[in-house]
Amino acid sequence: MTTQRSLQVVLAAGFTTVQDLGRKGFRSLGVPVSGALDRLSAVYANALVGNEPASPVIEVIGSLAVKFGVDTVVAVAGGYPRVFLNDVEVRPWNPIYCSRGSVLRVVPSGVGYVHYIAVSGGVVCDKVLGSASTYVRGGMGCLGRTLKYGDVLEIGLTDVVDVWGRVSDLKPPQQLVEIHSSIGKDALTLRATEGIHSSLLSDVDVLLRGEYVVSAESDRMGYRLEGESLGSAKGLGRLPSTPTDRGYVQVPPDGKPIVLMSDAQTTGGYAVALHVVPPDVDLLAQLSPGRRVRFKLVSIEEAEQEVRRYLDELEKPRLIREELEYWG
Amino acid sequence: MGVKEIRIVRSGGYVVHVDICVEVSMECVKEVHKLYYATKKELSGFVEEVVPGVSSLAVYYDPRLTSSEQIESKIRDLWLWARNIELKDLYRPRKFTIPAAYGGDFGPDLQSVAGWAKLTEEEVVRIHTSRAYTVITLGFTPGFVYLGEVDPVIAAPRLETPRVRIPRGSVGIAGRMTGIYGLESPGGWRLIGRTPLTMFDPKKDPPIPISPGDQVEFKAIKPEEFDRLVGVFVGDYTA
Repeated sequence: MTTQRSLQVVLAAGFTTVQDLGRKGFRSLGVPVSGALDRLSAVYANALVGNEPASPVIEVIGSLAVKFGVDTVVAVAGGYPRVFLNDVEVRPWNPIYCSRGSVLRVVPSGVGYVHYIAVSGGVVCDKVLGSASTYVRGGMGCLGRTLKYGDVLEIGLTDVVDVWGRVSDLKPPQQLVEIHSSIGKDALTLRATEGIHSSLLSDVDVLLRGEYVVSAESDRMGYRLEGESLGSAKGLGRLPSTPTDRGYVQVPPDGKPIVLMSDAQTTGGYAVALHVVPPDVDLLAQLSPGRRVRFKLVSIEEAEQEVRRYLDELEKPRLIREELEYWG
Repeated sequence: MGVKEIRIVRSGGYVVHVDICVEVSMECVKEVHKLYYATKKELSGFVEEVVPGVSSLAVYYDPRLTSSEQIESKIRDLWLWARNIELKDLYRPRKFTIPAAYGGDFGPDLQSVAGWAKLTEEEVVRIHTSRAYTVITLGFTPGFVYLGEVDPVIAAPRLETPRVRIPRGSVGIAGRMTGIYGLESPGGWRLIGRTPLTMFDPKKDPPIPISPGDQVEFKAIKPEEFDRLVGVFVGDYTA
């Protein structure tokens, strides 16, 4: 480790990658969009350190510790993990000043599942097709693989004193932090429109009735759900491959739903029962295996309204100055 | 089966999905390509992305800039218009020749395809290399190319149990489709050969020059030639 503008991974357990908001425009070549599983949290982590919303961040699933080669400002967002700066516990969803040589450690707390570390100036990484998002199956973006012990990542240039002056009293909306600090406690309601094959699945209502449990066989490509299966999927078998996307609820012949996530394949041959609206896919990403979800059907108009609000927030996260919170 | 009506499904608040037919046929694929290129041309700048499937296509849009109703009505107009024109009026298909070594380690399922077809391995290779295939679509993984239509004589079904790891460049058969794995991936197609060409290179622009509607022919090569061609980008190769 040196005094370079870099950070070094000193502990990595789990599935940790560098992500931004994804690789758009190449689906027709078979390239998944990838990007942060929980885009809104990634954007807020960036905003809290003065970065552009789409700057590359570190997506931690599991535990990670990094040592900084330079004074910097960081923020951890997504769920509510335990965060330690040189063994002193600090709060997630807050800007943190880290001196050169300090170690930041993110440890799962059982609340939430994917956590984002944003570093002021952003992680500087190899971009592939315009994005630093790591798509491990394709070996694309940044290091093309999960982070491991000893990896060194460059940090973009910023004036840390100036950044700290601008961000030290910034906070994300209280409501967002509340959602994340209790996520997974109760069954999460996922708002979804009908999927492209709803009309082929005679028992699609089954999905809307009961609760489903996130399976341990979930990954960045899809979250598998355990619960009452859809009998009608069996008869459908394999359909002609159609374009698929994040949030599509696929039902393979075994009848068990899979919600496609950021690394979703661009086309698929399974029936699509529902389409979870994008902000709720972000929240689903925060559920560790064993947590519960239920689906709620919404209209296209409602979904469009949610997408508009969501895209606006991704582009312009709603930060507040700390002193303002007393003004109600 | 004739293609008469499209079915449009709006999904998720940002996708308009268009089913062009129920049964897959090359006739339907041609209609998909016409609507794909027409939509791409007319709606680009106005939607995020247009992605073709085998018998459908998806239009991804930003609901702050447009609405699904607007896109739906434009697609219906384009459909009526595109039905009466030829693909070549919208897109000039290109021809590609893909060298491939067949059988052995290159194509571990050539034997099972020959067994299924009750032919020799050489006959299967001859039949596979004797026609030009239409690029149906790209998808599944980066640079995976779906091609049709395979001679029914060698149209062996996919494997019961997919392989966990398939080398990049592998050429497979799944019923009436044949395809090329652009990158190493899992997959269930029967592998009959492998091309030494690099099919997908993210450093190139575009990373793969092959588009829906293009024509692809295979050329059988010997293992020595395979070694000589390893790493040549598909866009730089001339037979």
